[in-house]
Amino acid sequence: MPDQLLFAMEVTLNGLMAGVLYALVALGFVLIFKASGIFNYAQGVMALFAAMTLVGIMKGQVPFSHLINAIFGTDIHYFGWHVPSLIAILLTCVVMVGLAWCVQYFIMRHLVNQEPIILFMATIGLAYFLEGFSDLMWGSEIKKLDVGLPQGINETIDRVTFDWFGYGFFIDNLDIVATVIAALLVVALVVFSQYTREGRAMRAVADDHQAALSVGVSLNFIWVMVWSVAGFVALVAGIMWGTKSGVQFSLSLIALKALPVLMLGGFTSIPGAIVGGLIIGVGEKLFEFALGPALGGATENWFAYVLALVFLVFRPQGLFGEKIIERV
Amino acid sequence: MLDQTEGYITEDGRKIGGVVMEMKNITLRFGGVVAIKDISFDIREGEIRAIIGPNGAGKSSMLNVISGFYVPQEGEVWFRGAPRPQMKPYQVAQQGIARTFQNIALFEGMSVLDNVMTGRLTQMDASLWKQALWKWGGAEKEEVANREIAEKIIDFLEIQNIRKTPVARLPYGLKKRVELARALAAEPKLLLLDEPMAGMNVEEKEDMSRFILDVNDEFGTTIALIEHDMGVVMDLSDRVVVMDYGKKIGDGTPDEVRSNQDVIDAYLGVSHD
Amino acid sequence: MAQTHDGVGEGVSLPALLKRNVREFGSSPAYREKEFGIWQSWTWAETADEIQALALGLINLGVREGDFIAVIGRNRPYLYWSILAAESVGAVPVPLYQDAVAEEMAYVLEHCGARFVIAADQEQVDKVIEVQDRLHQFEHLIYLDPRGMRKYDHTTLHEFSHVQAQGRAAHDELIGELERRIATLTLDSTCVMLYTSGTTGKPKGVVLSNRNVIETARASSSFDKLKLDDEILAYLPMAWVGDFIFSIGQAYWTGFCVNCPESADTMMTDLREIGPTYYFAPPRVFETQLTNVMIRMEDAGAFKQRMFKHFMDHARKVGPKILDGEPVGLMDRIKYAVGDMMIYGPLKNTLGFSRVRVGYTAGEAIGPEIFDFYRSLGINLKQLYGQTEATVFITAQPDGQVRSDTVGVPSPGVEIRIADNGEVFYRSPGVFVEYYKNPESTAGTKDAEGWVATGDAGFIEPDTGHLRIIDRAKDVGKMADGALFAPKYVENKLKFFPNILEAVVFGNGRDECTAFINIDLTAVGNWAERNNIAYASYQELAGHPKVLETIQSHVEEVNRSVAEDQMLSGCQVHRFVVLHKELDADDGELTRTRKVRRRIIEDKYADIIAALYDGSPQVSTVTEVTYEDGRTGSISATLDVRDAPVVALQQKMAAE
Repeated sequence: MPDQLLFAMEVTLNGLMAGVLYALVALGFVLIFKASGIFNYAQGVMALFAAMTLVGIMKGQVPFSHLINAIFGTDIHYFGWHVPSLIAILLTCVVMVGLAWCVQYFIMRHLVNQEPIILFMATIGLAYFLEGFSDLMWGSEIKKLDVGLPQGINETIDRVTFDWFGYGFFIDNLDIVATVIAALLVVALVVFSQYTREGRAMRAVADDHQAALSVGVSLNFIWVMVWSVAGFVALVAGIMWGTKSGVQFSLSLIALKALPVLMLGGFTSIPGAIVGGLIIGVGEKLFEFALGPALGGATENWFAYVLALVFLVFRPQGLFGEKIIERV
Repeated sequence: MLDQTEGYITEDGRKIGGVVMEMKNITLRFGGVVAIKDISFDIREGEIRAIIGPNGAGKSSMLNVISGFYVPQEGEVWFRGAPRPQMKPYQVAQQGIARTFQNIALFEGMSVLDNVMTGRLTQMDASLWKQALWKWGGAEKEEVANREIAEKIIDFLEIQNIRKTPVARLPYGLKKRVELARALAAEPKLLLLDEPMAGMNVEEKEDMSRFILDVNDEFGTTIALIEHDMGVVMDLSDRVVVMDYGKKIGDGTPDEVRSNQDVIDAYLGVSHD
Repeated sequence: MAQTHDGVGEGVSLPALLKRNVREFGSSPAYREKEFGIWQSWTWAETADEIQALALGLINLGVREGDFIAVIGRNRPYLYWSILAAESVGAVPVPLYQDAVAEEMAYVLEHCGARFVIAADQEQVDKVIEVQDRLHQFEHLIYLDPRGMRKYDHTTLHEFSHVQAQGRAAHDELIGELERRIATLTLDSTCVMLYTSGTTGKPKGVVLSNRNVIETARASSSFDKLKLDDEILAYLPMAWVGDFIFSIGQAYWTGFCVNCPESADTMMTDLREIGPTYYFAPPRVFETQLTNVMIRMEDAGAFKQRMFKHFMDHARKVGPKILDGEPVGLMDRIKYAVGDMMIYGPLKNTLGFSRVRVGYTAGEAIGPEIFDFYRSLGINLKQLYGQTEATVFITAQPDGQVRSDTVGVPSPGVEIRIADNGEVFYRSPGVFVEYYKNPESTAGTKDAEGWVATGDAGFIEPDTGHLRIIDRAKDVGKMADGALFAPKYVENKLKFFPNILEAVVFGNGRDECTAFINIDLTAVGNWAERNNIAYASYQELAGHPKVLETIQSHVEEVNRSVAEDQMLSGCQVHRFVVLHKELDADDGELTRTRKVRRRIIEDKYADIIAALYDGSPQVSTVTEVTYEDGRTGSISATLDVRDAPVVALQQKMAAE
């Protein structure tokens, strides 16, 4: 087999894995958009916040230590204990639910029936607030996140592909784990929304507020729930990205990568988010591989957006989005 | 005169029980506009109670007060013998008051069956943990029981053939019926129908009237409905409240109301087309 | 006719067959019905138990031997049990058409003097109550669905399940009497009485004996090798003899399972879910299904359409041959197999015909294209010819000898004779006993030797032995010049066009033929939609110039085809109108089985017929119509009368 083809295959596989991570972030957007019609600009920052919180809890960091030290003149930074990662993850979940509750009660509740653009602005505000808040709470330095997920080259794949093709593929274990977890998460979300009472209520709210009220569904409760689920998805995405490239401000920018994914997959479709993520992941890696050198490299920075733009022109509702029908 | 505690027997021999819901001196204002002015009436167990009046008389506002969508500035709503604290619409629904809407509020993206199943939401109480355990948490049993009730109602309203059809694809008349099915699925103690016959042709109106009567007869459901078509209401209901410009101008059996001079005047004042 | 039980064994009556079925395959499913979204089923043993409870309940209510019990409602297991229970207690079951209006029902109930009626629901009960004052012998009404019935006076009104419960309670007291009554039933006792809808006059009560039903069921079951594990869907009216033979006669003889749909509206879904192996439908149903398929295909993408067309062309070429076991090349077979995987299989599945082993159509002529379409998919669709008086079967097509223009060879045990005027006569074990309380009609139909006149004209093909039917014998007339006039022959050719729903051809005793045409609202409406032609009503669509042009081209094509047959070339349509309303059974223009009532139409539309013959280009008319709820109104219209060119009749002149 020609080397170029083998490289391309390896690049494709890596692209798929990266795509899964994009999809994870996009999923958080889709959940909130479907249930409340809000485009949550803060989704990326939520991932950052979740990852920072997780690191903080694991390391036994004292929250708001800068603030406390500045006010009381103390010099405390750590409680001095280490929390096992599983417990830390559970605690972070609790924090994310708390965040969801706060978002609903302090912001969204007051904005019911406002224009979508107002809601969007609110989430931009939320994003910057949350960014500052997490720095304040956990400090702004770059942190390393290790919850015990396997990392590094997968030996088995390397060996097997070497035996077959005479060339070992480099696949990161973390990417494989991320793929499996993302798949489980998606299955769990589908089961949740299709077969549980809460899921049914969530779909009801997403479909028609008035009707949902009339069958006894509390909108506030559902929205807190949806923000919590989105927070949970953000946590998963934060763990994956954080483990991969450290917990730092740039983590929040993955939200921007989710944007083209959403344009491709449609804002209302869970399968769309996944397929969109995969297409973008594979597309940008292959494009860089094939044409990157000719175009001066770093095509990954813009390829996704151009692809999304092309899509917007020809299929504005996305691959799986609800068809936009103009009625006269 | 009606007996205040014991109820009464209708002409066709149905027993009507005690008061389920009572509106006491309700006044509702939107800014300076008075939508409802000091209205009192009651709804008794097992009866079909109509609120009628010309367009703009405040009927829909009254229904929205009962279902918690509007909060009156003055007056009290008594439900099952106790004054009802201020409530959100979803809490009212959880209390056993189901409703339909004049402009139909269905979950357009869901199938008919899913829509009817949402009507069961208030009746489901397995926790998320139990649901996660499915069969072993008893959630499967609950789901089956709920599905059975939903199916009985689908059968009752003769919409079996569209069970799996997405609601968005249905014609208007059928949507109205699906909405009724969803409300019935909650096994409501009080069913509120907001202009159930609006926008229907004669045949559809007859069908809907038959379903309303059958629901009342078969399940003993207490029904309060709003309608501006006098003819339909008079055949359907046991007692009628007549509203005009936010005020109550008549209350009684269809015959009493029909001979009430104020009602006659109010209705002569509006054109019939 | 043999007087022994030869061939039928212990099965001298339906209750006796039921006993045999419980013994031999008691745990096999006998009935299924979809209710509350789930298929409920009953084994033969459970069925027998239900029937016994009902029979005991009927005795408890005072049913005497020889009483008539009417059964009204859609196909439901409970109503089939009612028929069996009625026969078990020595009464005569009389199933009625559920869509009959109260008036029609009153005539039949009065004529048979039913003391008991078993009705499905409030709607049927209301009809009976409406006319009950006129029924002298009527006593008790049993209803199945209690919905809406609570307020009714229950002195002579009983709920089905209560009657059964009372029967069960009185088991010990009454079981002896029930057994005695069942034991007295013989092959010659009455099994059922069915009213023929009749193209003219009042319906007649056809009395069928156990011999008629059981011998026919036995012969026809072995003709098509029906088995215990066959499945049928019972959806045609219970009052129709075909349903009686398929869903009761053959079902009791072979023990196969009868499936009842959830409601009339869900029939297609239920058909798909059940996937019957043995299926009957009138041509109209096959036509509708084909039309739906074609409409769906026109909405499909270009690639799908091309693939569909490609494989359907292939299926048309080799499908029927494969079905008939004729030699077909290997490549063609492989291609057919591919087509089956990609097109035919999924299509059959959507239609609910995946498992059909034996399919029949009858009642009307079926369009050759429609017939071939189903055959080419690999569905063994065949034709049969029959009538109530014959307990259905007169002729049927054996497997491997199927054509769209014949109705098959005489069924086992049936003799056929063609009279000088072309009328078909038959004699068989299935020949009915008599018309109830109508000896003149009985004598007029059945002669002393047992030959029955079918009223149809036809001939037997010398080389194949298949019967071909031309038309109703009385409708085959003479034109003014003495040429043969066979209206149905022409009408069928017209109706084979999907755009034409119904056609009525006139010309008896006249110089030339003319026609009324009804457009098919589904097909034409769909065409209009695709071509952006707006219309507000049936009437407007029917009068649209473009529609008239299309119909005209169909008429011209039929004329060319009719001209080819020398005997009938005089029947070409010279002038026609497209009617402004659909011919309707509610207006008496069609029978309940949708056959044209010629006399009534001739009277009702005399003005239009006059215009067809006086050369006027237009005609204004006012027509009475009956709405679904029984009210009447009238519609007025001005119709274009169109001239259609005909093929000259030189050859015929030369022959004379």
